[in-house]
Amino acid sequence: MVLSNEDELKQKIQDGYIVESREEMTEGYRKALIVQLTVQADTELMSAPAYWMAARHAPSTNTQVSAHAIIQDELAHANIAYRLLEDIGESKEQLVYGRQPHEFKHPYGFDQPLDNWADLVVANGFFDRAGITLLSDVYQNTSYGPLKRALVKVDMEETFHLRHGEVWMRRLAKAGGEAKEIVQCSVDWMFPMTIEWFGLPDDLKRHSGQLDYKLKGLSNDELRQVWMSSTVPLCEELGLNVPAHFDSETEEYVLDYPFPCEYDVADKRWVFEDGETTWDAVFKRWKGRGPMNEIYVESIQRSRRDVGGWLAEKRQA
Amino acid sequence: MIERVYDVFARKHRGDQLAHIGYVDALDDEMARVYAWKTYDEENWFEMCVIRRSNIIPVNRQDGPFSGSKGEGK
Repeated sequence: MVLSNEDELKQKIQDGYIVESREEMTEGYRKALIVQLTVQADTELMSAPAYWMAARHAPSTNTQVSAHAIIQDELAHANIAYRLLEDIGESKEQLVYGRQPHEFKHPYGFDQPLDNWADLVVANGFFDRAGITLLSDVYQNTSYGPLKRALVKVDMEETFHLRHGEVWMRRLAKAGGEAKEIVQCSVDWMFPMTIEWFGLPDDLKRHSGQLDYKLKGLSNDELRQVWMSSTVPLCEELGLNVPAHFDSETEEYVLDYPFPCEYDVADKRWVFEDGETTWDAVFKRWKGRGPMNEIYVESIQRSRRDVGGWLAEKRQA
Repeated sequence: MIERVYDVFARKHRGDQLAHIGYVDALDDEMARVYAWKTYDEENWFEMCVIRRSNIIPVNRQDGPFSGSKGEGK
């Protein structure tokens, strides 16, 4: 069945219709799904070099194994999302190996260096929690059948990453002293980094069609609340300071710093004292990409041409 | 490097249905077996197999990923 009318498809989807193939999509649906899957795939892919370079800070062989198991999972998740993109007409080869570093669509957080073991475990605790928050919402609400099925595995494994992160955050925080100080440093730059990850506040958000097509269920602000409702109590329990608190009157989490805010890359520090910046400035910073962007992308792309060339020579021989 | 699409089927326990659980891209059948086993390691599968997507013959639908020879390498 071919649907040509956007409104007709939107109505059917709102009534519970599940899309199963490219042929059933309107161009508007396909475009919106491509944007969503590209962000998802690129985020999974870029987490791999970020975690891989941080894994050398693992304090034991067992933790090395855990860190690399997480990297393996992330690469598998990226593969799944790129394959879904191929099935709706995009090229994985082009997406992974044909783009410039700044053309990837992952969040700014995965352009940053993870400089020690605390950075890595807080990334697991915060960034993977953000991933679960976003993908659980997609799983529960998506109108695209193949994506819903694929997310079963992804969700299971992201939960393991999160547990790894939270267990280690707890261990470092409970130890006190230098261990707690260093985990606090990681929390200080990564908490606002993850808050920003959820994007524009609802009152500024352009209408994207993602809700009409049921590619997601919750708004940016709602997702930010879900993330904070797990993260803030965890940090409070561990005695780690976060710039947010629960307001019992409005029953919402409230940020205690100017949002959005500028980030000092060299110092790995949010410039709270300069007050609120504009979202235009934030988009400009995101577009400019962060300090590790080229290094991470290069680590993924570098051998493709060489090894591809060797194999081509062999075929010709 | 010309990779083919392979679909991965598995079941968790004796008596379970064999279900489509995912896909890998691989240069050949042997690599597809390895990639599938290593990629879909979220369960301790009782049985897993892979099939070249281009070998799946659709019966009643002309749309979707199994239609035609879309699974053949680029």
